[in-house]
Amino acid sequence: MLEVKDLTAKVAATGKEILKGVNLTVRNGEVHAIMGKNGSGKSTLSKVLVGHPDYEVTGGTAVFKGKNLFELEPEERSHAGLFLSFQSPIEVPGVSNVDFLRMACNARRKSLGQAELDPLEFYAYIVPKLEMLNMDPTFLNRNVNEGFSGGEKKRNEILQLAVLEADMAILDEIDSGLDIDALRDVAKAVNQLKSEETGVLMVTHYKRLLDYIKPDFVHIMQSGEIVKTGDMGLVDQLEAGGYATLSDREDS
Amino acid sequence: MQASIGGRCAPSVAGKRISTRVQNPYVRPASKSCRSAAVASAQTAPEDKWLARTVKEVPTPAGLATLRAESTAALATLRMPSTRNEDYRFTDITPVLRTNVQPAPAGAAVSKELVAKHALAGAVATVVVVDGVLRLELSSGLDALPGGVYVGPASGAPPAVVEKMGSLSRSRGGPFAVLNGALAPDCLVVSVGAGRELGPVHVLHLASAAPPAGDSAPASAPRSLVHLGPLSVGELVEEFVGLGPAADAGRYLTLGVTEVLLEQQAQMKHSYVQREATGAFHFKGTLVRQAERSQYSFVEAAVGGAIARHDLTIQQAGPETVTEMGHFLLCGPSQLHDLHSRLTLDHPHGTANQLHKCIVSHATGRGVFDGNVKVNQAAQKTDAGQLSRNLLLVPLATVNVKPNLQIIADDVKCTHGCAVSDLRDEELFYFRARGISAEAARQALVSSFGAEVVQRIGHPELVKRVREDVGRTLASVELFATATQA
Ligand SMILES: Nc1ncnc2c1ncn2[C@@H]1O[C@H](COP(=O)(O)OP(=O)(O)O)[C@@H](O)[C@H]1O
Ligand SMILES: [Mg+2]
Repeated sequence: MLEVKDLTAKVAATGKEILKGVNLTVRNGEVHAIMGKNGSGKSTLSKVLVGHPDYEVTGGTAVFKGKNLFELEPEERSHAGLFLSFQSPIEVPGVSNVDFLRMACNARRKSLGQAELDPLEFYAYIVPKLEMLNMDPTFLNRNVNEGFSGGEKKRNEILQLAVLEADMAILDEIDSGLDIDALRDVAKAVNQLKSEETGVLMVTHYKRLLDYIKPDFVHIMQSGEIVKTGDMGLVDQLEAGGYATLSDREDS
Repeated sequence: MQASIGGRCAPSVAGKRISTRVQNPYVRPASKSCRSAAVASAQTAPEDKWLARTVKEVPTPAGLATLRAESTAALATLRMPSTRNEDYRFTDITPVLRTNVQPAPAGAAVSKELVAKHALAGAVATVVVVDGVLRLELSSGLDALPGGVYVGPASGAPPAVVEKMGSLSRSRGGPFAVLNGALAPDCLVVSVGAGRELGPVHVLHLASAAPPAGDSAPASAPRSLVHLGPLSVGELVEEFVGLGPAADAGRYLTLGVTEVLLEQQAQMKHSYVQREATGAFHFKGTLVRQAERSQYSFVEAAVGGAIARHDLTIQQAGPETVTEMGHFLLCGPSQLHDLHSRLTLDHPHGTANQLHKCIVSHATGRGVFDGNVKVNQAAQKTDAGQLSRNLLLVPLATVNVKPNLQIIADDVKCTHGCAVSDLRDEELFYFRARGISAEAARQALVSSFGAEVVQRIGHPELVKRVREDVGRTLASVELFATATQA
C-alpha cells in the first residue's frame, strides 16, 4: 500500500533537515505504530507524505498504491485514498463543518466518478458516522474546529476519515488530549473503519492507544530516522526503560 | 507606565501596497471643532464653497431645533477635509466635493414589494426611512410595542430622551455629522425604559439616486437616537440600501448619524449593514456612551457604496463595562472603505474586544482602518483585545491600517494583532488535504473570512443578503480563474 524509501526532507523556509532517510512499508491490512521522542520528526514524516507545503522532499521515494506520491498534489493524494489526521487541526472560522465535510466528500466522489451528494443525501450519509463517534449532530452546524476542545477536534478528524473512506490513514497523536471516553470512541471508530484492504499508521507516545488498536509493527523514530522496528514487545520494553534502552545507534 | 502599541503588519505580499503607521495618537484637526463655532451666528453662510452650495435651509421638526441651530452655526467655519488632514489622509473625498449635492426631495415612491424584499423575520418592528424621512405608512410593528418602549419620530418621543439628541455628536462627531445635524429632516428615536426589553428593531434606510452620468446627487441625512434605560435590553439593526436595483450605479450621498446612550447595566446588540448602491457616497457616524456595567455589542458589514466612511466612537463611562466590536469591510472595484473607530476606557474592570476584517478584491479598491483603543490611567484591570486581519486578493490592492492600542493604565491585559496577507496557507492546505481543490478552497475561505464577523449579525436573511453582495463583488475577481501553485 505505502512504501517509503530513504526519504529525506527539510523545512522549506529554513533549510533545516528533519527527515534523514526514512524507510517504511505498510501492506494492506496492516497496522503500524511510530513512537519516538518529541521533535524526532514523526509529524514531519506524516505531513511530508500528504504534501504539506512547509517541507521540501530532498531525496528518496514514496509509492502509494503504485503511484509516486511526490508527483501528486495534496488533493490528488487525498483522492487516491491517503488521509492524515493532524496532530493539531486548525480552526476555520466561518466555514460550517457540514459544508466542509460535504465538499470533501463530494470531491472524493467526483474523483471516483460517483455522483455528488446533495445536502439531504449527505445528511443521511453522515448521521451513522456521527453515531459511531458518539458525536452530537450539532457539531455539523458549528464552524470547522472553531472553539472545539482538543478531544472534539480529534473526533472531528476521525469523522473526516470516515466520510472520506480513505484506504490509508495516518493518525498523528489522535490520543493526545483525549479523556478515557473519547479515546475509546475514537479507537472504536478506527477499528471499525480498518479492514483487510486498508492500512493504518499511528503516531503516538502512549501504550494505551495501542491497547485499543493493536499494531502489527512498532517503529521507533529518532532524529529523523526509524532506528528500530519490532512488535508490541518493543512498547513494553519502552515503558520499562525509556527510549535510551532501545536505540541501536549512538544518539549524538 | 505609559505604553502604546501600534499596528505592525509585515508587508509580506509582493506587489500589494500596504502602509501601516505605528504609534501615532489621534490628533483632531482644529478646523473640525464645532464647539468654538457654536457661538457663531446661525445666519452666517458657510465659508466652505461646497458646503455653501450644499446646505439648504430645511424645515426643523419638533425636537431638532437645538441640534439644527448648533450644527448650522458650526457649519459656518467648517471646512470639508482633504487628504492633508491626518484623519482623511487615505480617504480622498474629492469625488464627493465635485458633485453638486442637493437635499433629496421628500416623498419618493417606494413599493411594498421593495420593503418586503428587505424583510427581517426576527424583527419586532421595521422602521422604513426613505431619504432620511421616517415613513410610517411603510413601517410595521410600531403599534404593537411593549409598554415602556418608544420607537418613532422625535415629535412623539419622551422629552427627556429627545433632550439628549446631539449630546454625543456635538463633541465627538466629524464634519459629516455636523452636516447631518444641519440637514436631518427628522430623528428616529428608540427608547427603552428601565428594566424593559425590546426585541430587534430593523431600520431600513432607502435612498433615491441620480443617474450615474450627471454631476449631481441627492443627499439624505438620516438620524437616529437610541436610549436604553437602566437594566434594559435592546437590539437595533440598521440596513442601508439604494432604492434602485441591486448593483445600481446611481449616485447619492448618505450622511447618517446614530447616537446610542446606554444607562447602567443596559445591554444592546447593534448591527450596521451598509449595502448602498455601487455609485453611492456613504458617511456614517455612530456615537456610543456606555454607563457602568452596560454591554454593547456592535457588528458591522460594509460592502456597498463607492466611497464609504464610518466614524465609530465609543466611550466607556463607568466601571465593568463590556464592549464588543466586529467589522467586515469588502472593497471591490473602485470602492473605498474607511473605518475610523475610537474606544475610550476611563474606568476600571472594563472589557473591550475588536475584530476588524477587510478584503480588498480589486486593484482599484482600497481599505482604510484607523482603530484606536485608549486605556486611560483610571481604567485599571482592563481586558482589551484588538485584531485586524486584511486580505489582499490581487496585486496592487491597497490597505492602510493603523490599529492602535494606547495603554496608559499599568494593570491591564491587552492583546493586539494585525496581519495583512494572502489567504492563510495553513487553512488552504487543510482543505487540500481533504481533497478539496485549491480553487474551491480559496472560494470557501474568502467567503468565510468575512462570514466570521457577518454571522454575528444573527438574522439569517440579512446574513444571506450580505453574502450575496459579497459573492457579487468577488465574482468580478479573476483570482479564482488564475492557476494555483502550491
Ligand atoms: N514547519 C517547521 N518549521 C521549522 N521547524 C520545524 C517545522 N516542522 C518541524 N520542525 C522541527 O523539526 C523537528 C521535528 O518536528 P516534528 O516532526 O513536529 O516532531 P515530532 O512530531 O516527532 O514531535 C523539530 O525540531 C521541529 O522543531
Ligand atoms: Mg508531532
